[in-house]
Amino acid sequence: MAFQMTRRSFLQASASAALTTALSGWLVSGAQAKSGFVRKPFTAPGSFGDTTTVSGSFCEMCFWRCQLVGKLRDGKLVKLEGNPKSVDNGVSICARGNAGVKLLYDQDRLKYPLKNVGKRGAPVWKRISWDEALDECASRLQGVIKNNGAQGIAMFPHGCSATYPMHYFEHVVGTPNVSEASFFQCRGPRDMAYLNTLGVQADESVDMPNAKAILLVGTHIGENIHVSHVKQYLKGLENGAKLIVIDPRFSSSASKADIWVQIKPGTDTAFLLAIMNYLVKKGAYDKAYVQKNGEGFDKFTKAIAHADLDWAAKICDVPAAQIKEVADLLAKNAPHVSIHPGRHVTWYGNDFQRERALACLTGLLGAIGVKGGFVKGKGPKLANVSWPNIAGEHAEEFALHKKAEKHVFSPPGTPTQMLRDAAISNKPYPINACIAWGQNPIQTIPGQQDTIKMLQKMDFVMVVDVMPTDITMYADILLPELSYLERYDYFVKSGVQWNLNDKHQQYIAPRTPLVSSLSADHQRKDSVWITNELAKRMGHAEHIPAATTEELLDKVLAGGNISLAQIKKENGIHLQPGSDPYGVSYPVKFFNDELADAGYPGVPNYTPVPEPPKGFARLVYGRVPVHTFNRSQNNVWLNAEMPENPIWLNHETAHKLGLKSGDRVNLVNQDGVISATTSILKVTQGIRKDTIFTAHGYGTKNPAMTNAANKGIDDQALITKPAVDPETGAHGMRTSFVRIMKDGKVLNIPV
Amino acid sequence: MSQYGMVIDLNKCVGCHACSVACRAEWDVPVGVDSAKRKQRRNWVERLGPDTTPHGLASTYYVGLCNHCDSPVCVESCPADKVDVTFSDPKTGQKKTLSVAATWKDPFNGTVQIDKERCLGCGACADSCPYTARYLFEENGTPKADKCTLCVERTAIGLEPACVQTCLARARVYGDLNDKKSEIARYVGKGSIRLESTKIKIGPNVRYYGKKKDISLLTQSSAPEKMAEVNYRRIFMTRILRPSIKQLSGSSLIGLLGAIATKNDDNA
Repeated sequence: MAFQMTRRSFLQASASAALTTALSGWLVSGAQAKSGFVRKPFTAPGSFGDTTTVSGSFCEMCFWRCQLVGKLRDGKLVKLEGNPKSVDNGVSICARGNAGVKLLYDQDRLKYPLKNVGKRGAPVWKRISWDEALDECASRLQGVIKNNGAQGIAMFPHGCSATYPMHYFEHVVGTPNVSEASFFQCRGPRDMAYLNTLGVQADESVDMPNAKAILLVGTHIGENIHVSHVKQYLKGLENGAKLIVIDPRFSSSASKADIWVQIKPGTDTAFLLAIMNYLVKKGAYDKAYVQKNGEGFDKFTKAIAHADLDWAAKICDVPAAQIKEVADLLAKNAPHVSIHPGRHVTWYGNDFQRERALACLTGLLGAIGVKGGFVKGKGPKLANVSWPNIAGEHAEEFALHKKAEKHVFSPPGTPTQMLRDAAISNKPYPINACIAWGQNPIQTIPGQQDTIKMLQKMDFVMVVDVMPTDITMYADILLPELSYLERYDYFVKSGVQWNLNDKHQQYIAPRTPLVSSLSADHQRKDSVWITNELAKRMGHAEHIPAATTEELLDKVLAGGNISLAQIKKENGIHLQPGSDPYGVSYPVKFFNDELADAGYPGVPNYTPVPEPPKGFARLVYGRVPVHTFNRSQNNVWLNAEMPENPIWLNHETAHKLGLKSGDRVNLVNQDGVISATTSILKVTQGIRKDTIFTAHGYGTKNPAMTNAANKGIDDQALITKPAVDPETGAHGMRTSFVRIMKDGKVLNIPV
Repeated sequence: MSQYGMVIDLNKCVGCHACSVACRAEWDVPVGVDSAKRKQRRNWVERLGPDTTPHGLASTYYVGLCNHCDSPVCVESCPADKVDVTFSDPKTGQKKTLSVAATWKDPFNGTVQIDKERCLGCGACADSCPYTARYLFEENGTPKADKCTLCVERTAIGLEPACVQTCLARARVYGDLNDKKSEIARYVGKGSIRLESTKIKIGPNVRYYGKKKDISLLTQSSAPEKMAEVNYRRIFMTRILRPSIKQLSGSSLIGLLGAIATKNDDNA
């Protein structure tokens, strides 16, 4: 190298010092590092050696709840790892789990109770004491109760810490108007559909490690990371399972698939009906299972008789031969097939029917209680300890969907659209107080302008959170919560070993603090303390079920004949023998008369969704593995991995429009709503021409989120015309159509 | 001798980025770019595609880290004064003395390491790496080259590398490529590839295993095509300024180095 010449020219004379340290020896032999850890200058010390390991707790960077250990140095958390004792996630945690350290020490975290002395949406914060904050919350909530009744309070909860206050407001205060994003903007239609088909909740109870074929409809495992679930999926693939992915986009799962069906968005149910009709006509279904456990099978076969391959091929815009190929593959591998129920399923407002179709297909293939099929692990029992239900009747009486006799198959709580409409219109009764606890309704609920309208008309808005998400800008009183790493929690993570075919074990893993919550620089509190203090001020002191989270937690654990002290001794996870989950069968309501009686289709049916107007493509959204909606956006490590959400655009479309990967663009929807921010274009052959995709949860508008603010595009701001699922009242959110705007010029999407 | 390395099994990898983030946590890797605009990272995941390949539509991941190459150009480029260092093989007790600059390839385990105390922080090694696997850690005010060590500090006490431990897919296979009985050696036998091009062949010891289409996408998008250029002027200036650098505080130091780099780039 020429460089050697240059180098010689400035070599200095100090070159002769000889080092005799046996470097390899230091690097490879363990004795030294174990006996006395020596920190080297300029070298990061790592998470081992001079750290202490605290076992316990589980993650809340998302809601899968992987079990953790923390590595601490001088009382400071330096690293999180999976708990080696875990039979669920094991020593692995995902990117978000690893980045929990940076949530804990995020400079933007809420620190003190704050009062908004400016306007909702344009807050000016004044620091107040907990007494002042709680007194004001109590008196203003009581004011609303006095004027409007308990039903005048709306609540938007999410996460472990929100359960306890949610029960308080439902059961003691007496409002029915609790709307959980995890139901009405996520899993509600799935869980209700499976309950009304197989009689059990769906969860994600498919035995993928032991499957011979796996069917994913829109589910993009890999971009959506839940550690033990991804382990199940990968183990299945490793064991040779055929993977079928139905998705308009070449998702991370599609890239591993044996068959990728590039379906037209919104037509999945037609696809599923055609498969079932084909299998029925061919006699290629599990006749014994259906005969023994099926209900209304004749009505079912008649109702889907029209759904032939050509019919579906035309609707779904895929070859009939490919639909047949999928059906044959499933039949060939039945009953050892995992028909995945999905997780986030609130897509088009016809989602209950699609989920019913998935459950029926599972039954048709006899894929229940068998290796690779729909199997539910039997978890440990715990006590159900909470607030007494003293006002449940009042709540029931004022439940909006029950009053209106709509959404008969709603999951628990009140459908969000009905709640928001009622709050804005004061019909059938006024709703004048709003509580958001761990949820960010600005970005979880479609129709953002209506959500803001609802918030603006409230007499009182109270928000409890860890981070200054967008909803916090609308609070009158904003309360800071301890993070999951600093607190006990009411919720206990429990379950069984990740691979149902392994030794049957049950686990109980409570949340215990990994680091001290005590610090002079903040006054954060946990949700049990906050709720109890509020309850005392609202005259409900006598109903408080436990004085502290620890006490409450011990009561929950007592139901499993275990104590918190004992689990702490067992390194945070209690293991006990489990039982064989296989061999169970569930009834399959191919025709459901309760549905029919309520005026809904008794057999799964396909309702077409509106087509994109000329010049527009459908906006679909999904997950990226490094973020959990808006919650994780401000995390410095996660933000660095993926600061913006690329806009996926078909390569031929891009070519026609003169666009290329990396271009900065806005999106404009059918109502003329322009994204407040831009993001980068990703031009690819892996998406249909009628579809534009981006990741959900970006583009927070709160400047207090200093890393995340205005980065990427907020998809929710563009979803201005959500659909509502008739059976469940859950939202459908893949209902917006968009065009691309570059340098201020709006471009039509060619057909 | 041993040659430690890693195989990334792309059939298993789902591109979750846990490895990159665990590495940041383990080794305090800063976020952002250094004064020469290099990404500060030891370990990275880049999503590739979906894009066409001769074997069909593909989407996979460039899971990158230091390759601990057979012929590490970074080691060649280090201008620090050479000193005699005695290495020893913990297995055999054998010793070997080599004259090395501030970065070297260990004669017994094959890893490429940096002596942070002797590192001048000039960035020559980082400039020279065709895989951009090195960056300057400047956060303490005294710039030092930094990169993946294959977690030799962790493996020395029986722990897995941080990225390997956290990998839910078990897609990262760590071990001695020269140990024919190891899992990693079996992957070599199965046809894992080195990320090389016709122009760049320096013997990377991180290998990739996967479907033809995924390997095709990886190599067409991410194999280095040219040897990186070393900014000799910056190195020269760093050396000259070295005594005075020690007197400067952290923030002004970064500014100063940045200014030198820019100025010299302009001149060049």
